[in-house]
Amino acid sequence: MKKQTKTARENPGTIEVNQFFQSQGWKPFPFQKKTWQAYGEGKSGLIHAPTGTGKTFAVWAPPLIEWMNQGKLQKKRPARLKVLWITPLRALVEDTNRSLTELVEGLQLPWTIESRSGDTTGSRKASQRKKFPTALVTTPESLSLLLSYPETRESFSELEAVIVDEWHELLSTKRGTQTELCLARLRKWNPLLRTWGLSATLGNLKQAMATLLGNEKEGVLIEGDTRKKFVVKTLIPKNMERFPWSGHLGGKLVEQVAQAIEKKTTSLVFTNVRSQTEYWFDALLGVRPEWKGQIGIHHGSIDRKERTVIENRLRTGEIKAVVCTSSLDLGVDFSPVEQVIQIGGPKGIARLLQRAGRCGHQPGATSTVICVPTQAMELIEYAAARKSMAKGKIEEREPLNAPLDLLAQHLITLALGGGFKEAETISEIKTAWSYRNLTRQEWDWTVEFIVRGGKTLQAYDQFKRVVIKDGVYQVPSSLISRFHRMSIGTITSDPAITVQFQKGKTLGTIDESFIARIKKGSHFFFSGKLLTLVRIRDLTAVVKLARSGKGVIPVWGGGKFPLSSELAQSVRERIEQFRLGKTSEPEMKAMQGTLQLQNEESHLPALSEFLIEKTITNDGVNWFLFPFAGRLAHEGLASLIAHRMSQLEPMTLSVSFNDYGLSLCSNSEKEIDETTWRTLLRPEGLVEELLTCMNQSEMAKRQFREVARVAGLIFQGYPGAQKSIKQVQASGGLFFDVFAKYDPDNLLLTQARKEVLERQLEAKRLTEKLREIQNQLFVLRNPAKLTPFSFPLWAESLRTQISSESWSDRVRKMAQELEAGN
Amino acid sequence: MNTKVEISWQGKKFSLLADRAIHWPSQKTLFIADPHFGKAATFRKSGIPVPERTTQDDCDRLTQLVQETYSRTIIFLGDFFHARVGKTEEVRKILTDWRKNLASLQVHLVRGNHDLNSGDPWPELQIQCHPDPVNILGIECRHLPVSKSEKPYLAGHIHPGFTLKGRGKDQIRSACFHLNQSQIILPAFGSFTGLKNIQPLPGEHIFLTNGKEIFEIPITA
Repeated sequence: MKKQTKTARENPGTIEVNQFFQSQGWKPFPFQKKTWQAYGEGKSGLIHAPTGTGKTFAVWAPPLIEWMNQGKLQKKRPARLKVLWITPLRALVEDTNRSLTELVEGLQLPWTIESRSGDTTGSRKASQRKKFPTALVTTPESLSLLLSYPETRESFSELEAVIVDEWHELLSTKRGTQTELCLARLRKWNPLLRTWGLSATLGNLKQAMATLLGNEKEGVLIEGDTRKKFVVKTLIPKNMERFPWSGHLGGKLVEQVAQAIEKKTTSLVFTNVRSQTEYWFDALLGVRPEWKGQIGIHHGSIDRKERTVIENRLRTGEIKAVVCTSSLDLGVDFSPVEQVIQIGGPKGIARLLQRAGRCGHQPGATSTVICVPTQAMELIEYAAARKSMAKGKIEEREPLNAPLDLLAQHLITLALGGGFKEAETISEIKTAWSYRNLTRQEWDWTVEFIVRGGKTLQAYDQFKRVVIKDGVYQVPSSLISRFHRMSIGTITSDPAITVQFQKGKTLGTIDESFIARIKKGSHFFFSGKLLTLVRIRDLTAVVKLARSGKGVIPVWGGGKFPLSSELAQSVRERIEQFRLGKTSEPEMKAMQGTLQLQNEESHLPALSEFLIEKTITNDGVNWFLFPFAGRLAHEGLASLIAHRMSQLEPMTLSVSFNDYGLSLCSNSEKEIDETTWRTLLRPEGLVEELLTCMNQSEMAKRQFREVARVAGLIFQGYPGAQKSIKQVQASGGLFFDVFAKYDPDNLLLTQARKEVLERQLEAKRLTEKLREIQNQLFVLRNPAKLTPFSFPLWAESLRTQISSESWSDRVRKMAQELEAGN
Repeated sequence: MNTKVEISWQGKKFSLLADRAIHWPSQKTLFIADPHFGKAATFRKSGIPVPERTTQDDCDRLTQLVQETYSRTIIFLGDFFHARVGKTEEVRKILTDWRKNLASLQVHLVRGNHDLNSGDPWPELQIQCHPDPVNILGIECRHLPVSKSEKPYLAGHIHPGFTLKGRGKDQIRSACFHLNQSQIILPAFGSFTGLKNIQPLPGEHIFLTNGKEIFEIPITA
């Protein structure tokens, strides 16, 4: 071992890199040297560290070192592709290219580095396929697309390393699973291929590494420079009201936020949803009109070009502040950012760390995040997040479990890319972690699906997507090949309306349901501008700048982040410590009045207690339950309890939920004692009953859109698409109905239901939570008035109405509500 | 069960049927819009698996409607076929069998935008094809709705759908009939056809149907 270290230090490549580092006034960090050595030994691995700590050079230097060692300072560029660099965001492709080029130029190596993503032109892509660069920066989708060309195997014959950047971001998504499948193929071509991942800190790093490396490979887990310091500060409102409700507090803090921005050169202001960025951007200009042109807005629905302008201004530091969403969570090195402001609850420890890490980008610098509550309970979240960060308790991100829609897509890709044979491909697929437990039945079904369309042979006559010829699965039709290549990927874009000025400049996209409510000539905010709607034509909203006045802020679909289990647990611990009089944080001090009032009017539950409140309001009887399990789990739980209650006695219940609890409102006078509550909250039968609720609420139908898109049933249309594409476009909901009626055993339907159970209703978390609740002491209270805990749930108002009625009853009831002007 | 709603429109009595058709009793006539026959076959030919039985089912529904209403005439308001590639032998056989079974029926088709590309139905189906618009039995029949028409008309093309929102997140999306003084837009008849949400104006009428039951939805300003 010692001897190896010595050789590593003395080899010519390492000497060159060290000299370059010296010339820049840098010194390699121990973790970087460790990576260089492990790579030199032919190993794969995962490096985890906060952003901005030198992870890029840790993995980028070793392939260069190795090449220099093979023939010191060769003048000729390598003939074939040597390194693939995968990044989750298209927007990061160019940035990564830039930083990789920096080292190659510094070492004066004849390597070429190019990018390939959805933004790359068709001609550029074609010429790349003829002659690949030495290193290619790309996205999971573009890599998958490359595998659909038979020549790729030859072009990749000298590929020695794949580096996957921001692996934590891909890990528990279908894009991550797609990366796994692509890697399985590359490893089959070259078993010595080295895979290195870069990740932020996660609670399940070992699993994250296993997922990246495939289930048969061992790797090295390297901890990066973790000396980075994080400071969490909170803006405490001067007058705390004791009844918190969502979104209402933030407005009072605009002036304080503006003052914080004034103190620094450049700030990033993060919000949790797009509509909040529009609100805050406008609010900041409201208190500082002179900032017009000096602050920017950035979120996923704003036009790509506009976003790039903002990103470039951030890079050069010529912007005072940018109000943004998770669109700026990732990657891009914005060194000039001095301060991060988080509006609203962080909802997760990892997310707050990630965002805080966007400032103080220099290794060793301190990252400060200023938190701005939009409702009082978030104060506890900040205190809790700070504690968890200090203890290093970060959320886990789990890989997916064998999504068959993606397998179907990948198998067609393989069939296109030179064809595949069954036996060897099953073992290849099973080397991908997410598919390690793939059953024979699932495999058979998926193959049946791509060959015959489905199980019922007769039902899918004329369907020839993939055919078997001499035991090789291949795609015979060029039309199908073209369709497939166009639809590779897993990102499902929402059908959206383009917002465009009369002269033609596009501003971004907006939800159809929002724009439908805006009348011609009235105002709304978008991209930080007050706009007047001129007309809607096709899928475009034509607008012009409004001179002045008030406008509505758009709401985009898409869920809110739920509170993570880890942070929820940490919040409960903060409350526990408060009960014991052991909290001294400013946030908890500010919450004193609220929490004490909760205790006086009802009860402040200890860790071992489960609180249920019953309060009678004008709406009827309200029950409030406080499991502290995050809004998704609460949504599932609320449907479950409502379903179980309506089985005890026919009744109509309105439910609402937030991150801390849920409420059920009914006109029934029924008394519910502890025994009944315990029965209602039993973990047994949870999955079956949730499935029943799901069928009533059409949740699976909505989820089917994504499944259908990935499995290649839906082509994502684009304006001006050819007729041949337009005539085979149908919605996910339509496919769902047709399959449910004619092919109910279709595994894609099963998968959609599974995804709703696992991802939306968090069935696993819910089961654990119910078990835990069964062991808790039930505290039933009947406060005469709403309490600080129940008030926000009540104010969230009556969200879902769950009832066991038929379609006609539901329609009749809703129609009656409309008549009544409700 | 409300399987139909009787309405009086332009001095004539019609029944809006839950099975997405209009019955005109005095003329023993059925109006059907947008069956999109062969749509599933079109998909399958492009490598997208869609079960086939939709065409057979739709023909069975048609037969049942004709028998239940004792109709002698069917007027298709366009988009009889989905696409030329979907006019497969199998689809041809199903439609021919259907037609044989109802040999005495008068069948009209107002050509829709899809029909212009797909071509007219096979001759053995004995369907009289007309350009859009056409006046049959004194009623203006169109495929494509127009904003200004001298005569009130029936039309298809839109595949109207409506999302009914209840309290909170509860919502139901279904096909619907969309009526006002000058037009009736029919829901698409085909089982494998999508919906386009419409925004009714005050004074207009929406009848929501799930294929089995039909309801009028009040329009709030």
